[in-house]
This record gives sequence, C-alpha cells and structure tokens, in this order.
Amino acid sequence: TDNFKELNTNPGKLTEAGAREMPFMFSRAQSAAAMDRSFYQTVQNLGADLYAQYYALSVTSFQTDRYVLTPDWQRRFWTVVYANTAPQLKAIIENAAPASGEQALANILWVYAFHRLTDHFGPVPYFQAADPVEQIPYDNQEAIYDDFFKRLDQAVADLKALGSGTQVFQGFDLMYNGDVNNWILFANTLRLRLALRIAQVSPDRAQQEAEAAVASGVLTNNGQNASLAKSLKGNDTHGLAQTAAWNEFAMSSTIASYLKGYNDPRLGRYFQPDVTNGQYNSLRNGLPPSALNNPRNNSSQNSNIGTYWVTWSASSSAWTPNLEARQHVMSAAEAWFLRAEGALNGWNMGAAAQECYEQGITASLTQWGADETAIRAYLTSTALPAAPGDTENSPAVAATPIAWAADESTRREQIGVQKWLALFPDGMEAWAEFRRTGFPKMYPVVQSDNADLPSGTFIKRLPFPIVEENNNAGELAKGRALLGGPDNAATSLWWDVNE
Amino acid sequence: QENREISGTVKDAATGTPLTGVSVRVNGKSQATATDASGRFALQAAQGDVLVFSYLGYRTQEITVGTSASYTVGLQPAEAEELGEVVVTALGIERKTRSLSYATQQLSADQLDEVRDNSGNIMNSLSGKVAGAVITPAATGPGGAARVVLRGNRSISGNNNALIVVDGVPIDNSSNPQANSTFNSYGGSDGAANLNPDDIESVNVLKGATAAALYGSRAANGAIVITTKRGKEGKLAIDYNGGVSIDQPNLLMDFQNTYGRGNGGEAGATAGESWGAPATTYPDNVRSVFRTAATVNNSVNLSGGTENMQGYASYTNNHNAGILPGNDLDRNTLNLRVNNTFFSKLTTDAKITYLNQKISNKPRLGDTGTPMGIYIMPRDMSEAELRDFEGTDPVTGEPTRKYWTTSSIFDNPYWDLNRTSVNEERNRVTLLGSASYQLTDWLRVLARYSFDRYDDKETGRYYNGTVSLGSVQPGGQYYETYNVRSERNIDVLISGDNKLSGDLSLTYNLGGSVLNRKSNSLQNMANGLSIPNQFNLSFATTPAFNNVSIIERELQSIYGSAQLNFRDYLYLDVSARNDWSSTLPSPHSYFYPSVGLSAVLSDALSLPEWVSFGKVRASYTEVGNDAAPYLLDQLYNFSLGAGQGFVSRDLTRAISNLKPENTQAYEVGLDWRFFNNRLGIEATFYKTNTINQLLYIGLPLASGYSQQYINAGNIENKGIELQLNGTPIRGERFSWTTYINFSRNVNEIIKLSDQSNRADLSTSTRLASVVAVEGGSYGDLYGYAWEKDANGNHLVNDAGLPIVKANTKIGNFNPDFLLGWGNTLSYGQFSLSFLIDGRVGGEMVSGTDSFLGAYGLGDYTAQYRDGGLILPGVKADGTPNTTAIDAQKFWTAVSQNGRDAWGEFFTYSTTNFRLREASLGYEFPLNGGAFKRAQVSLTGRNLFFLYRGKSTLDIPGMQRRTIPIDPEAALGIGNYQGVEAGLLPSVRSFGLNVKLSF
Repeated sequence: TDNFKELNTNPGKLTEAGAREMPFMFSRAQSAAAMDRSFYQTVQNLGADLYAQYYALSVTSFQTDRYVLTPDWQRRFWTVVYANTAPQLKAIIENAAPASGEQALANILWVYAFHRLTDHFGPVPYFQAADPVEQIPYDNQEAIYDDFFKRLDQAVADLKALGSGTQVFQGFDLMYNGDVNNWILFANTLRLRLALRIAQVSPDRAQQEAEAAVASGVLTNNGQNASLAKSLKGNDTHGLAQTAAWNEFAMSSTIASYLKGYNDPRLGRYFQPDVTNGQYNSLRNGLPPSALNNPRNNSSQNSNIGTYWVTWSASSSAWTPNLEARQHVMSAAEAWFLRAEGALNGWNMGAAAQECYEQGITASLTQWGADETAIRAYLTSTALPAAPGDTENSPAVAATPIAWAADESTRREQIGVQKWLALFPDGMEAWAEFRRTGFPKMYPVVQSDNADLPSGTFIKRLPFPIVEENNNAGELAKGRALLGGPDNAATSLWWDVNE
Repeated sequence: QENREISGTVKDAATGTPLTGVSVRVNGKSQATATDASGRFALQAAQGDVLVFSYLGYRTQEITVGTSASYTVGLQPAEAEELGEVVVTALGIERKTRSLSYATQQLSADQLDEVRDNSGNIMNSLSGKVAGAVITPAATGPGGAARVVLRGNRSISGNNNALIVVDGVPIDNSSNPQANSTFNSYGGSDGAANLNPDDIESVNVLKGATAAALYGSRAANGAIVITTKRGKEGKLAIDYNGGVSIDQPNLLMDFQNTYGRGNGGEAGATAGESWGAPATTYPDNVRSVFRTAATVNNSVNLSGGTENMQGYASYTNNHNAGILPGNDLDRNTLNLRVNNTFFSKLTTDAKITYLNQKISNKPRLGDTGTPMGIYIMPRDMSEAELRDFEGTDPVTGEPTRKYWTTSSIFDNPYWDLNRTSVNEERNRVTLLGSASYQLTDWLRVLARYSFDRYDDKETGRYYNGTVSLGSVQPGGQYYETYNVRSERNIDVLISGDNKLSGDLSLTYNLGGSVLNRKSNSLQNMANGLSIPNQFNLSFATTPAFNNVSIIERELQSIYGSAQLNFRDYLYLDVSARNDWSSTLPSPHSYFYPSVGLSAVLSDALSLPEWVSFGKVRASYTEVGNDAAPYLLDQLYNFSLGAGQGFVSRDLTRAISNLKPENTQAYEVGLDWRFFNNRLGIEATFYKTNTINQLLYIGLPLASGYSQQYINAGNIENKGIELQLNGTPIRGERFSWTTYINFSRNVNEIIKLSDQSNRADLSTSTRLASVVAVEGGSYGDLYGYAWEKDANGNHLVNDAGLPIVKANTKIGNFNPDFLLGWGNTLSYGQFSLSFLIDGRVGGEMVSGTDSFLGAYGLGDYTAQYRDGGLILPGVKADGTPNTTAIDAQKFWTAVSQNGRDAWGEFFTYSTTNFRLREASLGYEFPLNGGAFKRAQVSLTGRNLFFLYRGKSTLDIPGMQRRTIPIDPEAALGIGNYQGVEAGLLPSVRSFGLNVKLSF
C-alpha cells in the first residue's frame, strides 16, 4: 500500500491553485463573467437582450419574449457567477499579495460580475460567495453596492500605486492584456455606472462615488474601450455571434423605430438587411405564436445583427458566425452619457451636460465607423423615431429628438435613448438602465404569457433559481424577505424607483 | 450375455431439451461415454447391465438394459434433486445448493441463447427470469448497456449494478458514459454487451450481498456468475447455432393526424409546430424513418479431447441491426480454452477470448437527439419533404443543411442520420489462466491470473452546418476518442476439506488477491475543420487534446471462509475479508464478515412422503465498499480558452476524510419441494442497510460548488423474492413446466446527513429531479406539480392556466412488484416456450411526451383546438375558474417548449405487462447421418404489451394518456432513471433459429 497515495493522484488534474495557476484562473473568470459561449444564449440573449428590446424573437421555440421564464436559465446565471467566476477570483484575492495588481484586477472583475447578477435578481448571496459552507445568506442590494464602491476605490488606489506601464496578468488578461492604465479607466467607469444606478435611491452616495470616479479618470476615447478576446480554442467563442448564426431573433421594432427614424449610421452596423428582400425589417417583441406564422415575421424577412458578428452566405443559405471577434464589454460613449446625466444632476462631471452628451454620440458613432460629416449632421439632426413598418403597424415608438433639447426632462430622455443606442449589444446594462430611468420609451410586449406581468407592464427582475429551495432553503426565505415584494418578475429592485 | 451397441438420447425431463456431455457408464464395467451435442450416446453393453447417467446439476439416473437397443432417458433437473445439485459460487467454488445459506438462481444456456434481444446484451435476456432483478436497457440500439439491479438501489453516488463474473473472475462491466440528464447523449456500451451468449454454459445469479462476500466490495449489489463452455472428453463435436431475426419498432406514440404546421389554428409554412389548420397529414411519417432491420447470428464451436486434455474453440459473428438506418453492430468473438490434467494432481485451465465489436452510427438520444428530431416533425410532413434534408453549396460543392423551420436545437433527422455519425470500435482480450494442485487428498491450492483489456476507439463526424450538437464550428467537427481499460486480478486460494468426525466435516478456503484497474480516455478534437468536412485530425482548425478521464486503482485483499457440515443437513458458514483500497485515505483498510446457516429439514426430520425436499436458511453479511479514485484532494481543472487557457476549481468539493461505506444484510429463506419434486417453492426475505454511504449532497450554488461528498446516511432495502416452479403435466409425449417469479422491494431513506435531507442523483432538474430524500425512497422524482388549495382543488391563474409548485414529489422510478411467468410446453418433437413479465408501480417523466404536447403532435392535442377547455380548478380567491383556453395554450404552457416541462403533466405509471419472449421449436428426429442434432425454432421477443401505464395526473375533460414509450427503457444505465427524453422506440424481434450438431 506504499504507492497508494501516488496511485490516487489524478495526473490530469491540478490539486492546488497557487501563483502559477492564478493567471489562468483570471482568464477563466473574465471569459465567464462576460457570458461565454455556453451561457450567452440562455442567460443573456433570450433574457436581457430581449427585455432591452434590441432584438425580438422570430421563432416559437422559446417563449421568453412573452415574459415566460425558464427557471433553469436563472440557475445558469448563478453558475456563471458563483461557479465559473467567483471561486477563481476569490482564490486570487486571497492568495495574491495585498494591494497587488493581481488582487486589484480580481476585485474589479468581481464587481463587474456581481453587479450584473444583483441587477437581475436583487438581493443575492454576496459576502460569503464561494465559501464552502452549507448555507449562504443573501445580502441586500444596498450593502452589496456599498461593497462594490469600496472594492473599486481600493483597486484603483492600488493600481495607481503600481505606477504607469505596469503590466498585470500579461498574456492572460483577455481585455487589456494587463495594461494597468486602461484597467483604472475601466474600474472608474464601472464605478460611475454603479453610482448613477443608485442616483434615485441614494443621491448623496451616488454623487460622491460619481465625482470620485470622474476625478480619478474614466474612459474617454474608443482606444480605451473594453472588449474581450475570443478564441476557437476550447470553444471559447463569441456567444452573440454564435447565437445570431442560429438566427432565432431579429431586430426589434423598438430599436428599428429609433435607428430608422434617426437615419442612424449605426443601423447598417448593428443590423444588416434581411436576406429575402434586402430591407431593414423588424418585428415586435412578444409576438404570439400565431403571429409568428406570418412569413413577414420569420427570421429570413427580418434583420439579423451586423456583419461584425455574422455573415450570410447565399450559396450555402447559412449564417457564418465570426466566432473570434472581440466581444464588447464597455465603451467610452457610455462613460460620456453617464457624465451627461451626472452633470444634469448638478454633479461635477468635469464637463457640461451637453458636451458630455455630444461627446457620447461622437464616440459611439466613431466607434461604429461614421465619419465626421455624418456625426456633425447627426448631432444637429431634427429626425425623430419613425414607424418601423412591422406586421403590427406600430407607430413611432417615441418622439425623442437627437439635438440637445432645451428642457431637462427631454434632455434626460435623450441621454437615455442615446446611451441605450450606444450600449448595444450589451442588453444587460441596457435593461438595467431602462428599469431605472424608463428610457428609452419602448413598445409594450404584444402578448405577455406571464400572469405576474399583465399587458402593458415591463419585466422588472428574475426570480431566484428554484434549486435554492433544495440547497439553501432557509437563507432563500430570508433573501425573499429582503425583496420587499413577491419573488417574481414583477417586483422592482432597490434602485428601481421610477414609475 | 454378449455386448451389443446400445444407443439413445438423454434429455432434460422438464424441458425436453437434449443434454450434452452427460456421462454414461456401465455400472461395474469399463465402458463409458458422454452424450454429444444432441444428447445422443452409444456404447457397448449387455442385457441386464445397468447404465448410469450422471450430469452436473441433474439427478443421477440408472436404467437397466433390456431387449431394446435404444433408450430415451429424461434426467430430472437438479432443483428437483435431493442431494447433489451444485452451483458455482464465489471465486468459482462449486457448492451444493443445499448447503447455501443464501439465495441463488440458476439459468441454463438454453434460457438465454435462443430468444435474443436486439441490443445484443445478454443481460436483457434475464428480464422476468430472475426474481428480484430489475433490468433496464439503455435505449441506445445494438450494443447498448443494461442496468441490472438486484434487491433495490442502495448507493447514491456509486454503482448499483450487479457484478459480472466469468469463470470465477469479475470482468470489467463499466459503461461510461451514461446519460445523467435529458440533454443529448450517446450511451456507452458496457462489458456485459461483449459477452457471447453462445459461449455460455450457465448463469447463476447470486442475489444478495451475502452470496458475493468473497468477491469483495464490487459484489455488494449481488453478482451474475457466468460459466462458459469448455471442452469435453470424447470425439470432436461441432455445434452450429444460427439465427436471423427481423427487428422493428414495437411501439410508437399515438399522433394526431388532423392538423398541420402552424400556430393558433392557422397554417404557417415555416412553423415547427403542428398547431396549424387542418391539413393533409401523413400518419406513418414517423414510422417511415425507422427501418425493419435484420439481425444475423452465426456461431460455431468445436469441442473434444482426451482424458487429460480437453479443448474448446468457438467463433461467433453477430450482426445486429438497429431500427435507425445505419445503426449496426458487428461483433466477432473468438474463444479458445484448454483444460489439462498433469500427473493426476495438477489441473490447468487456460482461456483466451478475443472480441472485435464495431458499432456504427450510434444513436444520439435526449431532448435534441435523433429520435426526438424524428418525433417532432409536423404531421403534414411528407416522406419526400422530410428526405429533402440538404442542398449543395454551388461554390464549395459541400452539403448545406435544410430544415423546415428555424432552429438552434434540431436538424432534419435525415441530416442527423446522414451527416452526423459516431462510430465505435472495441478490441477486447480476456485472458484467464489457473492452475490447481492437489497437495493432499484434502488440500488443494489454486493460483489464478486474469487479465481483461479493451481498447475503444470512437470517432465522431459532424458536417459543417450541424446545429443539433450545439457546438459544431465552421468546417465541421471531427474527433477521435481512445479509451483503454484494463483489469488484472491475481489470486491464490487454498482449499481444504477435512472430516472431523463421523458426523462433522469442515471445508475451508483461504485466499489473497491483488486487483489493479486502469482506464485512460484520451480525446483528440478537431472542432472546426480548415477544409470543410475533411474528417481527419490533420485538418483541425484548432486541434485539442483532452484527457477525458483517468482511473488507476488497486485493491489488495485477504479473505477466508469456512463451512461446518453436520451430517449433510446442517451447514454453518463463516467468512471474513479485509481489503486495502488505494482510493481511501490511509490506512486504506476495511474489514467485513459474514455468517450463515442452512438446514435441510427434510433430512433432519422425518417429513411426510409428499414433501420431497425442505430447507431453511439464514445469513448475516457485511460488505464494505471503497469509492471512486481521486476524491480526497480538491481538484482544479484546466481547459482551453482564449489567452493561454483556463484553470477553474472543480465543482465537487473534495472529502479528505473519506470512509469506506458499509452494507449490512440479513436474509432468511426457504426452499421446499413437493409431490416428487413437481412443485417447488423458494422464498427469500431480506433486509439490507447501507450506512456511512458516500453520497453527494448539494451545496448552495453560491458556494461555487455544485455538490460535496459526505459519508452519511442509512438506506434500507427490504423485500421478498418468491420463485414457484412446477410440472403440472409430465407425460410420455406431452409435458408442461412453468415457473413464476415474484419480487417486491421496499426502499427507505432512513437518514441522509445532518447537513442535508436531500441528495440529488443527478444535477439535472429538467422535467424532474431524481433524488433521495430523508423519509422518502431512493429514486423519488421531484418537479413542478399542479398546485392545490387547502381543499384539494387545483389552482388556476387568471389566464385559465395551471398554477404550479416547484419541488413537489411526482413519482418514484422503482417498481413496487416484479412478476415473471415462464412456460414450456413440449409435445413430441415440438416445444413451445413463452414468458410474460411485468412490473407494477413506478413512474417515469416523459420528455418525449412533453415535446409531443409542445408541438401539437400527440393525439390528445387534437382536443380543444378551438378552445373550450375550462380547467377544473379554482382561482387564488377560491372562485371557480371560468376562463376557457385552447389546447395550444394549455399544452405549450405545461410543456414549456418541451425541454423544461412541468413534470407532473407528463408523468406516467410504468406499470406494464408484456409478452417478453416466445419460441416454438422443432427437434428433427435423426437416425445416423452427418447430423447428430438438428433443431429449428421460431422466436419472438418483446412481442406486444398486454398493459401499459397511464398518465398519473387526471385532467378532467381529458382522457388519461397511455405512456408513449417503453416503460422499462432508459436514456442510460446510471442512477439517473425515471426521466427520459427522445428514447428510441423499443424493438420487437421475430426470429428463426437453427441449431446443428455434427
């Protein structure tokens, strides 16, 4: 029995995760947190991307566009964050040297992963996440946000202390390849995003965090945009591209109304003409199965997303996904729009609201290839959203102008619309901000098959995964109590107080 | 008197089957012979001589030679014997049945090799024939694995299958991979599927832990002990056994044949569903995809030898065709065996078996598998339209996928059949060598070496554009998986037999063994081919290697057993074993004993004449068990990905203080025969408790682990096994023998752990979770059920649809009772056998049915198409539901698009009775000539159902539906049972079998 210990060691696995493994763990967490290919469709594309009304479903195979929920997919979101992201980050945070760059990056990514989760569910297990215990309590969103800000503040301070030019996780960081300066900008923009999220419920804290973030430096130009490397290796491919190749969704009439009405240069970038008629066609969210019988609502007669993600081959009648295209994570345009809203709130955002707004538009249009002339024309355009021309004969979805308006409420709406357009294709952030601000105006879903969400209402959150009833039942009950409403899709989150 | 030639035939008196190798000698003289393959013998004898017929497992019989030159002798089977029946028990030790303190059940080759299952797996032939055996075939076509559970399930994270032992040595019967969710899967073959029925002499089922204590831990679930044929002294004999059978789907679901493609009652040309307008439908479109397949078996064996050396050689070719086009199994088995005796004290036995098995186009099961793709085609899909599954890319010339609707989940089934394939080839060598030396007339030493190795190569090909696998990258996907598995066992056994006094004798065995098991599975993956559809690793866009699994483990054991025999009617058995396993933490050791008592009352007491035999027995056994390897350390996994790849913590939390699990089994039984052995009854009552079990319990998702191992729990199985057999008619020309097997097992999870009262048998929650819950029983099914108010009324929401509650018990996959009724009627040269078997109780959640509901395909979806369905129930405020809905609303709501259906609405009772086997045989009367025996038989298997279970939920206004798939089939043979999706239909076979001996 002397050789038993050796015999019982699996040579195909690692039995410890130390400094050597840390960079690999960071890569794993990065790919997971932004929704890797395995999870993109069910966790994001068939959820938040539809709720943000970037796309609408053109097939009957899924019912989520009519607000029917698939409990297993809620579980999958938790798997993304708690199993694929958090243990890796926790190992780095616990094992890396205090105040190190590795620890800072892990903390920033931790906030990025968890803010998307809590903004879907509300209270979630947070402070004990990734601990090997039998029951894990839920934490309220306010406390979680408080921790977000603290972590980001500390991480930025630690990164700044490293000095410019320092590389962290070089060769492993899939976003900035270890460039500390960009990470600082990313962390601050994330902090700014989170600050605005709580602007209605916690205005003082929001101002304090937003001003600190801007003062410390946020994303300002497209060269600093965050995006994630994707690879055919291990099928770590672009989830949205893959999902688009399956062609089960197409342009939503909501975004069509804005893009077409505005003559927006991004229309031809975000989407492409349908393969049957060569038109930019759209359909409404939440169409009942009988309406989907109408050929005009089929995938082939509506616009798939742009050629950045998928290309159509007429000869093989198939979509080819650009599986190794970098995945968008965060852009400078968003930072400008966040600053614009902050400036309207009277915060010190380093620039006036209008400047921020126009910088945001400029950044986004530039990002998607518009030239200066087109941008100038756009900034002063009087175009308004148009009727998208769908089977429901939908009128224009709103009357929001592009050019900077005179009154504050229109300005807020403009910022909301333009930020939503610039956030594309990040449906998760877009849905969160739609819930907080009510912008942009959207069509109600044609039919809701969710009894908790009567016709005319919009989905507010996702219920907790059912599996929590089995393995964390006591804490789940307390977590539900923190919600302030039933554990269904109609209960508003803590920061969602507009109505 | 002068000698003259006396000839004749020896048959089994009960079945009329000719017996081969029966020793025939003239009492007191030197003439002796053995019967040939057709039971015939000839020797020189004189009138008045006494011929003695003796045969293993049969009562010795004598006849006196009269004036006739020809005799037909019927030997009484051993179960009717009072003294001498022997069975092969643990370690190949032959024991008299009367001395056993535990239950066994013996089957002869004839019961197994005549009517064959389309899977080619001999375990499926045990169905109904063994009291208490629950056989669940994986519905994966030819070569499919079979789950064999004796006396209930006892292990949550481990194996519940019986151990398979061939010629005294356990064989590798692993069956990776097996489905553990309804997601798509290719079921792996198992070791039992490699056994050649034609080489089998007999099968003995040792049911309890007791029987197998000497095989060690792996036999805690009982053992199937197989003895293969060996050469017999005498002239060269040649046997041929050939069979051909026609296999076709036994059972297809009932479809609606009124409505075509579309939704909401309106036609929709590109819709996937059949919720459209009335249309021209094609009632047989699903059946047309399946084929009527021909299965051919050919086997020839040679046997012969001298007194000191006997040889046996056999070659068998099996071609089993599945009902899915292209799905075939080809198996060639070569078997050589030589037995020698040297200096009258040393005997050796050497055997080599070589097997080559190819399975082509393994079916992909599950909710996106090929059968599901077939079932969900619209009802107005013509055969021609369905066959139009691809186009050609004018630029590249490569096939392009065509599908009638847009889907990220399914392909046209013909695309699946023609443009995706998984093929598997196995080469397996089993070596067995043993030498036994008689040290003194009471002491013998046996050394044995066995080696079993197989190499599997699996290749997968998916054309560019394939969607149903979910992850095929541009250019297509190709992979090769190599799996090498080997098992080496060395044991030494000393056996003695001493007479202690006139009344008391002692037999004993002392042994030691070392068992090594290794397995290595390596996959070379080319997901993405630079030259499209060039299925070779050389064209990989991003080549990847993956060591799918590695197993290496060793078990060292010492063991001993002793039996005290008092006057051949009272037997006391004790055994003890200590194992050291590499998978356990230091000191790696565990010990387990057993004790048993058997009393033959019919010898000990004077009983009435009509009692032929009577025995009672009792035993207590403990069996320890180790665990899978590599559980002690927390593991981290590497995987490829962007950058340099990923490392992540394994989702299973390690257990550093792992303890061996322990099963305690009590068993009492009786064995009585009456009326000159024409009526027999055997009964066993047992109770087993498995404690300190290694089980998974779920951890909160937020822990980052999906589960952790703990040692805990107490799982109890208790039950009864009854076997009745009788010979109601025993005449010159006509006889009828019959048997009935009955068993019942009751399982209770008495205790799980202090941390958790629930353990999931799989992490899958789709349709239902398969769980063990404290206070419940193993295999409870939990899922969404229609919620009721305090008064028991079903709750309905404002939309008129059911309100459901998650995590509600909706069934259990285990049957309550098993029944088998077998009959053999023989008349002259004809014999007719049939077996009816059935299961009562148990439930299954059918994902196949939820898709039939979701897509508007099941016959039941034709009701309420135009609305008018007011579900009987109340709203939350207690007022009756008045909202009318239509069928589509109802079925799409409860089926949740099929995959994630609310389980209760698709739960069925698995109670069923079927005509499992039937055969009609004719034995040609032969007098001389080239043939010694010629027999033909017509056989049928899985012929029809006498009864099939119904849906468990009664929805007033709708009839209860009948289960649309074989209630006994499964996606795989692991512990994930009771939930299915996209099973292949079970197969009905009609066959013709020919046996010839030269």
